[in-house]
Amino acid sequence: MKAAGKVSIALPTGVLMPGALRLLAKAGLARLSAEQLGRQLMVDRPRIRVILVRPADVPAYVDHGAADLGIVGKDILWETPGAHYELADLRFGECRLVLAVPLTSGLDGPETWPPQMRVATKYPRTAGEWFEARGQSVEVVRLHGSVELAPQVGLVDGIVDLTASGRTLKENQLRITATLGVSTARLIANQASLKTRTDAVQAAVGRLREAASS
Amino acid sequence: MIPRLGGVPGFRDLLPQEAEVLREAQESVLAEMRRWGYRQVITPMVESIDVLELGIEAGQRRRLFKFMDNRGEVIALVGERTVPVARLVAGKLRGAPLPMRLCYSGPVLSTDEGRFQQRRETYQVGAELVGAPGTVADAEVIALAARCLEASGVRRYQVDVGHAEFFHGIMDAVKLPDEVKAAVRGALAARDFVTLEALLEKTPLRSAEHELLLRFPALRGGAEILQAAGGLVRNRRSERALGELAQVQELLVAHGLGEVVSLDLGAIRDFDYYTGITFEAYGPELGRPVAQGGRYDRLLARFGRPAPATGFVVQLDLVCEMLTQASRPPALPRIDAAVAWSGPGLKTALRLGSTLRMFGMRAVVDTQPRDPAQAKAWWQAVGAVNLIHCRNKSVAEWSARGRRTRQLPPEQVAGRLAGEFA
Repeated sequence: MKAAGKVSIALPTGVLMPGALRLLAKAGLARLSAEQLGRQLMVDRPRIRVILVRPADVPAYVDHGAADLGIVGKDILWETPGAHYELADLRFGECRLVLAVPLTSGLDGPETWPPQMRVATKYPRTAGEWFEARGQSVEVVRLHGSVELAPQVGLVDGIVDLTASGRTLKENQLRITATLGVSTARLIANQASLKTRTDAVQAAVGRLREAASS
Repeated sequence: MIPRLGGVPGFRDLLPQEAEVLREAQESVLAEMRRWGYRQVITPMVESIDVLELGIEAGQRRRLFKFMDNRGEVIALVGERTVPVARLVAGKLRGAPLPMRLCYSGPVLSTDEGRFQQRRETYQVGAELVGAPGTVADAEVIALAARCLEASGVRRYQVDVGHAEFFHGIMDAVKLPDEVKAAVRGALAARDFVTLEALLEKTPLRSAEHELLLRFPALRGGAEILQAAGGLVRNRRSERALGELAQVQELLVAHGLGEVVSLDLGAIRDFDYYTGITFEAYGPELGRPVAQGGRYDRLLARFGRPAPATGFVVQLDLVCEMLTQASRPPALPRIDAAVAWSGPGLKTALRLGSTLRMFGMRAVVDTQPRDPAQAKAWWQAVGAVNLIHCRNKSVAEWSARGRRTRQLPPEQVAGRLAGEFA
């Protein structure tokens, strides 16, 4: 049972975790080390409960009301749209979702795409919709890791993947031909939490917003 | 091949405990509706897609289970029942005078797995008040929804009341190019305030309406929020909406529901469907509305009988979830008596079973003879409160939990049990 005045927030493991922890501290909500949260997975403070889950699981925790708020990359929200409110751009963890092809490939703009394009990605929904919106027939191969490898072994024409610096792509002899979107960390909220515990949740949202924009 | 004992994914078996809770909740909600003068109708599990298309938007239509019947017509399993009821009101009930109060219950299906616990079949009870315009009718259905939740056993809930016209007025007044307006609607429908902010930031004209749109999720509170919003909007549609909200709130206080009602000007609903007052009821801890509804004055006209209408559905799956999570979850009703027998006692046992049921008790009569020790084991398995073992016409052995066993004539056992039961 959650106390009425207490807000729970789901944080993602991985690259966004340090930024999320810094933001919580700056907002005056909780001062936690990555090591402590990583060990306990759930930490209770007088005004907030922090839970640590896999990035792709953050929307599920929030949509089902197990957490009032969540911090999650926009890339995850593209893939798993749900019933939550997307309240604020927290302005950290920026990266781009790009279409990349081998350096040796002749593919570039849409006019060079083959009638049936094959791409590998961890983001099948986003990639599929992007090509569909451009009238391009596409076969999306869903992979779970090392997507960069797929075009090199001839599995696909290109990949749709997330990149921050572009280094991994370069190391794998891939070049970017299009950007599908720019992702940053977002603050999401459960729709009922905003209504049933308005004051506590809005107060936490206000503090996080302020911390993110200053 | 091993049969798939779990059933089809997304479709649920309700075991005795769950089935009992659901049935009880459904019955109590329908009974409350009947107390308010709503007549029950039963509409079919399926509906022609042509009929459904008149009332639901493209996204919902895509999520329906559809098939073709032997005449080549596309049929869908119903995903909600307001549209079938509208078809009835305009069709078979076209001679009946308005206003008309109707209620219904039953399962609804959707291919959408994003629903409550990935259920593709959920249970709803709904009520529609057709032919009554105005805030008194709006307040009636909101009050009825609240009382239905209470009747089902839900103790802690709140009702948020909003108004579709408040949003439409803002969208009329806000100075934006049409394509940006469309994007703003899209962002709001997706509850994406980051995109909304970006869209509004790009426009040079800042107005009070901009601020209201950006603060949408926070436009919630008591009567004071109407004044605050009234100071910001300068358009007829929104102002009229605020006036109606004030009336509905007063009426709900008169209904005795002032404590549970809040106003939510930022409620995001299907704005193309709803035309006036809307509402959602929430319980604690449940992440989504347990009942929702509102005014939809344009639907009936599409069926050829223009009439204002308002109504709501109660999501029984969520009601049951709330009841079973409560501090005192409902227990499976006890079985009062297990009636065992041996030798010539069978006929006595059958007679005794009938007598007990006539008194309103739940009684199970055994299907095979057992000696006293076997009977005790069977009694445990049945889980009944009393065991009555009939050995012949004149003597029955009566055991009850925590009491010594007594030998009595069967009619005396029945009499005493009836006394305790009453």
